[in-house]
Amino acid sequence: MTAEPPELPDLVDPSVSLAASLRRDLPRGIRSGLATFWSLAKAMIPAYALALVLEKLGVITVLGHAAQPVMSLLGLPGSAAVPLVLGYVLNVYAAVGAMTALHLSAQQITVLGLAVLIGHNLLVEGAVLRKAGMSGVGFGVLRALSGLLAAGVANLLMKAFS
Amino acid sequence: MISLLSEFAGGSFHLLLRVFVIVVPIMVVLELFEGSRPFRRLVRLWARLMAPLGMTEEIATPTFVGFLFGIAYGSGVIIRETRRRRVARRQVFLMSVFLSQVHAIVEDSLVFVALGAAALWVVGFRLLWAAAATAFLGAVAAAFARRRGRRHDEPQPAARRRD
Repeated sequence: MTAEPPELPDLVDPSVSLAASLRRDLPRGIRSGLATFWSLAKAMIPAYALALVLEKLGVITVLGHAAQPVMSLLGLPGSAAVPLVLGYVLNVYAAVGAMTALHLSAQQITVLGLAVLIGHNLLVEGAVLRKAGMSGVGFGVLRALSGLLAAGVANLLMKAFS
Repeated sequence: MISLLSEFAGGSFHLLLRVFVIVVPIMVVLELFEGSRPFRRLVRLWARLMAPLGMTEEIATPTFVGFLFGIAYGSGVIIRETRRRRVARRQVFLMSVFLSQVHAIVEDSLVFVALGAAALWVVGFRLLWAAAATAFLGAVAAAFARRRGRRHDEPQPAARRRD
């Protein structure tokens, strides 16, 4: 029989009343919420502007033609390659910003969403995994490939069940 | 030019509004409950849920924090835990595979759901996918380690500093 681990000390001081801890934590929560919102806005709005300009210049159409074979395997228009690439390099919010400029169906948003949710922010998050002793590049490649694979499987399954 | 600017202004406003309405309340709620006793109970429950994938309790906290907050927001805990305790290299690998497939489950998923994605797929399917990927790559890594005659369950020397 192994002994039960000792109960961890509670981080919340029981002598502090609920109202008092709310008074302390609520402003902190609102501050961190606003800080998060601000950092997200800084990533999303430039990406949205970039995507909009690229679209007006016709760059998205060119990129889309190049990526057409891969995208069509996922049931997506070629232009969906742009938010995907923006997501790989930047983050989820950049990809969402770029997706706003496209006109996708609910199923296409779900499929592209899966690819972006699995593979995104590869530079920053790869650096974190590298510091944990793993290969940042290896995990970047893994996420890009498995994201596309998951999106492809989901697209086939959704078609089969609709 | 004017139409492009007005499209940009309108699109930006809707984008920011959507993010504001979703992200700020989540951050407030998380901030309120992060350090509490129920949160720690959840971590213990989480360790039990992850056990079938081969993950032990020593890696439960960083995996749970990364799952909820994301690799970038959870990086502090992830790096600290893998360095401070001599966690087995296999455990770090399993955590990395799992988190690389699914993390920031609430925040990131909601952003896509707000855009019109099906919640069942971006959450449920992604979770199943992550579990399958972790089981598969965990088995592949174990097979490789056996062929090389190494014991991958041994604690690794603390992760090298690379900063």
